[in-house]
Amino acid sequence: MRALTQFFKSLFLLELFKGLSLTGRYLFAKKFTVQYPEEKTPQSFRFRGLHALRRYQNGEERCIACKLCEAVCPAMAITIESEERADGTRRTKKYDIDLTKCIFCGFCEESCPVDSIVETRIFEYHGEEREDLYMTKEKLLAVGDKYESQISKDRGEDASYR
Amino acid sequence: MNVNIEINGKELQAENGKMLIEVTDELGITVPRFCYHKNLSVSANCRMCLVEVEKAPKPMPACATPVTEGMKVFTHSPKALAAQKAVMEFLLINHPLDCPVCDQGGECDLQDFSIGYGEGKSQYVEAKRVIKDKDYGPLVATEMTRCIHCTRCVRFGQEIAGIREIGATGRGENMEIGTYIEKSIDSELSGNIIDICPVGALTSKPFRFHARAWEMQKHNGVAVHDCTGSNVEFHTLRGEIQRIIARENQDINDSWISDRDRYSYLGLNNEDRIFKPMIKKSGNWETVDWEEALNFTAEVIKNGVGTIGPDSLATLVSPNATLEEFYLAQKVTRGLGSHNIDHRLQQVDFRAQESDPLYPGLKMSVKQISEQNAILLIGSNIRKEQPIIAHQVRQATIINNAKISLVNTQHYEMNFNVSAEFADDANILNNLLALAKVLVQKDKIDVDKAFSKLISSAKVTDNHEQTIAELKTDEDSLVIVGNTAQTMSNYSQIKIIASFIATNTNSQLAILTHGGNSASAYIAGAVPHRGPCNQVEENGLTAQEMFNKDLTTYIIQNIEIEKDLIGGDSEEVINHLTKANTILISSFVTDKMKEYATIILPAAIYTESSGTYINVSGTHQSMNAITEAKADSKPVWKIWRVLGNLLNINNMDYMSSEEVKDEVLDILGDKDMQSSINWMDFELDQVSNRAEYKVKPLGIYAVDSIVRRADALQRTADGQQ
Amino acid sequence: MAEENLKIASLNDKVKAEIDTWVAKYPEGKQSSAVMFALKLAQDQNGGWLTTELMDAVADYLSMDKIAVYEVASFYSMYEHKPVGKHKICVCTNISCMVCGSAKIVKHLEEKLSIKMGETTEDKNITLKEVECLGACVNAPMLQIGENYYENLTPEKIDEILDGLK
Repeated sequence: MRALTQFFKSLFLLELFKGLSLTGRYLFAKKFTVQYPEEKTPQSFRFRGLHALRRYQNGEERCIACKLCEAVCPAMAITIESEERADGTRRTKKYDIDLTKCIFCGFCEESCPVDSIVETRIFEYHGEEREDLYMTKEKLLAVGDKYESQISKDRGEDASYR
Repeated sequence: MNVNIEINGKELQAENGKMLIEVTDELGITVPRFCYHKNLSVSANCRMCLVEVEKAPKPMPACATPVTEGMKVFTHSPKALAAQKAVMEFLLINHPLDCPVCDQGGECDLQDFSIGYGEGKSQYVEAKRVIKDKDYGPLVATEMTRCIHCTRCVRFGQEIAGIREIGATGRGENMEIGTYIEKSIDSELSGNIIDICPVGALTSKPFRFHARAWEMQKHNGVAVHDCTGSNVEFHTLRGEIQRIIARENQDINDSWISDRDRYSYLGLNNEDRIFKPMIKKSGNWETVDWEEALNFTAEVIKNGVGTIGPDSLATLVSPNATLEEFYLAQKVTRGLGSHNIDHRLQQVDFRAQESDPLYPGLKMSVKQISEQNAILLIGSNIRKEQPIIAHQVRQATIINNAKISLVNTQHYEMNFNVSAEFADDANILNNLLALAKVLVQKDKIDVDKAFSKLISSAKVTDNHEQTIAELKTDEDSLVIVGNTAQTMSNYSQIKIIASFIATNTNSQLAILTHGGNSASAYIAGAVPHRGPCNQVEENGLTAQEMFNKDLTTYIIQNIEIEKDLIGGDSEEVINHLTKANTILISSFVTDKMKEYATIILPAAIYTESSGTYINVSGTHQSMNAITEAKADSKPVWKIWRVLGNLLNINNMDYMSSEEVKDEVLDILGDKDMQSSINWMDFELDQVSNRAEYKVKPLGIYAVDSIVRRADALQRTADGQQ
Repeated sequence: MAEENLKIASLNDKVKAEIDTWVAKYPEGKQSSAVMFALKLAQDQNGGWLTTELMDAVADYLSMDKIAVYEVASFYSMYEHKPVGKHKICVCTNISCMVCGSAKIVKHLEEKLSIKMGETTEDKNITLKEVECLGACVNAPMLQIGENYYENLTPEKIDEILDGLK
């Protein structure tokens, strides 16, 4: 009996039509596909993308070289060297993030007592050589300067949860 | 006497009268504390160590509560924890929340105990108090708002440094720790207040903001700038030494080190440091590779020895070199047939050297100095020469009420009570002879003619008699001959008379020497009159004699002749060096050195090379390389080894510095240092009285090429003198 | 007055002799116990306030560390570190005096002399000072001028006292 059913099923291509009906249904259903790069998915304000170093409104860099991010980084992607600046404050003389090591866990941002190192919404960056993905202090500050309005808006939205 | 007590339900015995915190510390039970420090007096003012004691109405401070019979203590009971939490809250009221920028962050007692014993948040909403920072000079940075008034630094000044420079002025909320008037802290032990400060109020100025405590590697090491052999800890980050802190050794330095040992690392990365071998070719310096440099060096040495003879070779080694370096240097030099090797740069009088002990030093541990009852210091500005030994002398005056007498050519400020001071501008011997005269007359000692003639003219005062009486008591007493005496033109007489006084008053005799490792130099044979461990050989030229005649080859290891050698800045010395082939094995090279040198071999600094240091009491302490040898520089023992091989010296195939050390220590065996002391056998009349020779011993921060380059030390009051 | 006294850097013989009588009251070697009286005498010699030089002189005379003398002199409120007027009025504002109306007394004094607490009148006659309990709570509120206590104060009584200070 089972063999007979099987015979008719395959004779009339029943399974094929079953599958095609599903395809057909989705052909007319509402589409999910995002047409990247023309279209983009919405991002959370907590999105963890490229890092940036922020400044205060008066232009003073926030980072105080406490090295907590360096200590907490599980991938050991951060290297900091600190020194006393001429005005007696504690500052970094080197702040490097190796993006090839970074796992974008966001611990650095979380450990920062002055909201200096942050992860931005930027995820579309590339490098043609390794050095391009080695973020120095200058590069990080430049990212921060460029996107400060977005960064501060995102921190503002997150503020009540922190 | 022991009493039975119970701590946290555990019954045990403890010495009666001991403070509770000492007992818990021994047991490894943590009781939080800020003001208590085991090498300082108890002040019980931070109240952090409150513990519950049964039948006591209130919690008791463990640091000021002596144990008594039947006492039941609970260190972690709810009552104790509540008390500790309350104290913590009070301490944090005025403490700023600036841990991220504070250098103490990560090694801060307040931070640790606040996590362990504090509340998560503060109820305090009022404004915090702010204190203006003090300027304590170039070594100690201050952030007095962070101060929690534990007064450890105040007690350190009073009890250890011996000069009270810091105090607690004002009261209540206006209390401030400081100097009241604007002044720097000038104690030669001042850096220790950084170590003992439980918070970030006092931090190291040169180290300021350079690294965090958790990211540095810690390496044990020894301080090499004086013969104390203080134990230190080197902290490195990515192969660079970031700071040096004290390492506890209750036999030598307790938990203190001198500022010289603490800050000398600042001189390591000086711009004078060289990294490539260089050869002077027809007046111009050329950088060459090691192979060429070493072959050329061997050639030069061979030529000199071959044509003029082995006596035309002289080797001068820094007294801070390691045991291994001394041994290999003398092995190469003696292997070539020359005995001209020396390390005694700060000595001019070498008569009586045959009677030297196995090595100059002390027949007790450094700590035992603090157990003496009378000490006679001869020719010693001990505070500036060996600050930690001075600390132990000071301890003797405090613990034993020891009587200290000083014999010097001038007045030196001491930080302990001095019972008699003999400061004779003209001649240190006059007072020594007077002391000897008292002994001879009182005890009717038979002395030879020369001696009685010498002492006959000495003028005896009551003070001399008193000093001798103090030394002669049955209790322990010590005669110390210091570095200043070593620089004097009649050092040999000073030693003989010092040894006469020591023998006849039944005191120990201690010889403190210049440099960090001269005990090793004597043992390894880096002296012209002895091979390794006292095998008597034909005498070579001493450090001074080397420059009295023309030699063809000088090998000079880590010495700046013009600064390190007494009288080394004279034209004559430089002339000899310029005429001869001068081979410098050195970490630092100045333009002046380039003028007289022929070959320069870049040496690794002592922190970059393994080696053994023997301190004044004969304790040998080996140290591994803390960091790698920088660039093309090489550890000195390796340079000597290769030179030895190139010069066909036998048995120079050492694989490690330990092999060298083992070889020396085998030769040393269990030989005793004092047993060989026999200056008294030396005929005094052979030692005619030389005219006093005005020398200025090196200042505290000018003792060696590294310390001289530590700029923060040079900027202190002592450094500027 | 104060300006010329700035130069006083040493203790005069009379003061030294008086310090000696105090030193004699303590066991030998414990001369530093006399520091409080020595400072008071030095202060009196200088017209009511202490200079650093005078404190140094006291330290030298009693063979104490200078900082130890500074500690004592800065701890107690009866030592002044700035020039003061001829009369120093010390008003207690501690709890007993406070509940008995010391605030009114302070206000009256300030208005009458037109100076604030801790200040000196222009003619350098009177200095006002707020102090802690002087142990006369039974007759609060109170104030101290020189070595005299004035108790059970009222504004009228204060006018009387101030008239007497002219």
